[in-house]
Amino acid sequence: MSEQSKDLSDPNFAAEAPSSEVHSSPGVPEGVPPSETLAEPQSPPLGPTAAPQAAQPPQVPSDEGDPKALQQAAEEGRAHQAPSAAQPGPAPPAPAQLVQKAHELMWYVLVKDQKKMIIWFPDMVKDVIGSYKKWCRSILRRTSLILARVFGLHLRLTSLHTMEFALVKALEPEELDRVALSNRMPMTGLLLMILSLIYVKGRGARESAVWNVLRILGLRPWKKHSTFGDVRKLITEEFVQQNYLKYQRVPYVEPPEYEFFWGSRASREITKLQIMEFLARVFKKDPQAWPSRYREALEEARALREANPTAHCPRSSVSED
Amino acid sequence: MQSSTKRMGIMTDVHRRFLQLLMTHGVLEEWDMKRLQRHCYKVHDRHATVDKLEDFINNINSVLESLYIEIKRGVTEDDGRPIYALVNLATTSVSKMATDFAENELDLFRKALELIIDSETGFASSTNILNLVDQLKGKKMRKKEAEQVLQKFVQNKWLIEKEGEFTLHGRAILEMEQYIRETYPDAVKICNICHSLLIQGQSCETCGIRMHLPCVAKYFQSNAEPRCPHCNDYWPHEIPEVFDPEKERESGISKSNKKSLRSRQH
Repeated sequence: MSEQSKDLSDPNFAAEAPSSEVHSSPGVPEGVPPSETLAEPQSPPLGPTAAPQAAQPPQVPSDEGDPKALQQAAEEGRAHQAPSAAQPGPAPPAPAQLVQKAHELMWYVLVKDQKKMIIWFPDMVKDVIGSYKKWCRSILRRTSLILARVFGLHLRLTSLHTMEFALVKALEPEELDRVALSNRMPMTGLLLMILSLIYVKGRGARESAVWNVLRILGLRPWKKHSTFGDVRKLITEEFVQQNYLKYQRVPYVEPPEYEFFWGSRASREITKLQIMEFLARVFKKDPQAWPSRYREALEEARALREANPTAHCPRSSVSED
Repeated sequence: MQSSTKRMGIMTDVHRRFLQLLMTHGVLEEWDMKRLQRHCYKVHDRHATVDKLEDFINNINSVLESLYIEIKRGVTEDDGRPIYALVNLATTSVSKMATDFAENELDLFRKALELIIDSETGFASSTNILNLVDQLKGKKMRKKEAEQVLQKFVQNKWLIEKEGEFTLHGRAILEMEQYIRETYPDAVKICNICHSLLIQGQSCETCGIRMHLPCVAKYFQSNAEPRCPHCNDYWPHEIPEVFDPEKERESGISKSNKKSLRSRQH
């Protein structure tokens, strides 16, 4: 690949700061180039993933989430894999190769996020970084920088405990309600309907109540829909898997009934104010028609603004528990 | 970045938001791209003049170039609608799909892809695809399961289904053209007019050259006696209309209801 010449321009590219709010948070994980997956039958990644990590990771100032601990955790995870032939002490790769890895990682993270899948550190190492694990911190740093500068997205470690990352939008998420109401992103509209129902009720929404609402849209649990497919599967499985909804059995009720709650991802990505605006548009009413909910939404908005006076993203960085 | 006069574009929040949204949607039609572009300007730079879409995209692409990704423009094969997707140029395979499909599912797609490429019409029947489930790599897949996996491909815009047959979605062609041409160099069909990969189209019954439906539409536009550009024989197929975005919006036909112009014309 003729990327070598481009890499020299890369530091310049990274240095070019066209606009203000670019915060670079070093991301971390590595992974195998996804190109391996279909082009050849599932062959092992470029380098042995279980190469013994004798040397220290490169001395770079560590910011979020203590990457060293992450690395150790990842190594422990990998110790369980069948070790392939160990490489004799890996030579430092050319800068060009690290840059290429950073680009692969960037794409990997973007696609995972697009599909609303979890970005998991061990996966990143396994799928993209592979034998470059020693340099994962610098690779990650570069990837985060690119993501911030080009896409306005932060690669944040959301949980050190589970080693999960998330792409957090650095820009105000204004698009959500607008997009939801056009039929370009029907899933969001459907999701917002359910989330707003739960919100307005102030507690979990029984499955029967949700279907009453969806019936208005012409959706039935037993009918396949041209856009959504199996709606019941979508809301009870897929949305739950993506952490937008929680689907739980109502305790002590026979015959068994289930109810929906907001999922952790919904709480992270969607503000109460957005829900109120959505409701207002759908029902053509003023948000004040739900006075207590509207008050709550305003409270939340104010709290978020106070928590982040300078940042543009209303959602503050997710806790690292 | 060879030419010294080529300046790298400037990324502003307008462009960043646009990229985020394009990435979220996966693939977008031209009208949606313009709408999204206007929205991004409205959010970040209300008073600026909105760039022409082409310039806007070229600007972004000049920044993406060093990352080996680009916003690529294509045209749907059945009715000539312009579509756009963010494409990774560095990998030559189905990297976007690879992250959330299992090994046997990816293999099913590969099998369907091969049948589609080898077919005369660009369509592979559901039956023929499902008959190959025994040959799949990875975990054993039942036919019932395979049917659902095929539906997953349709929902994710990798395949289109028409009357029990499957062909490639415009998005798949956009993202995988390079990979397909490299992997199946002998089996692929190429359009005589635009020289891009051809899955669906019309062919000359005399000399066998093929053309995309939108390419046919443009080439024979207002030509009362269409003739094959290669052998000059009378062109025997119905000439489709050139896609006109204005006309479509006025008539208020929604995308999902619009009948495609595809008919078996081979």
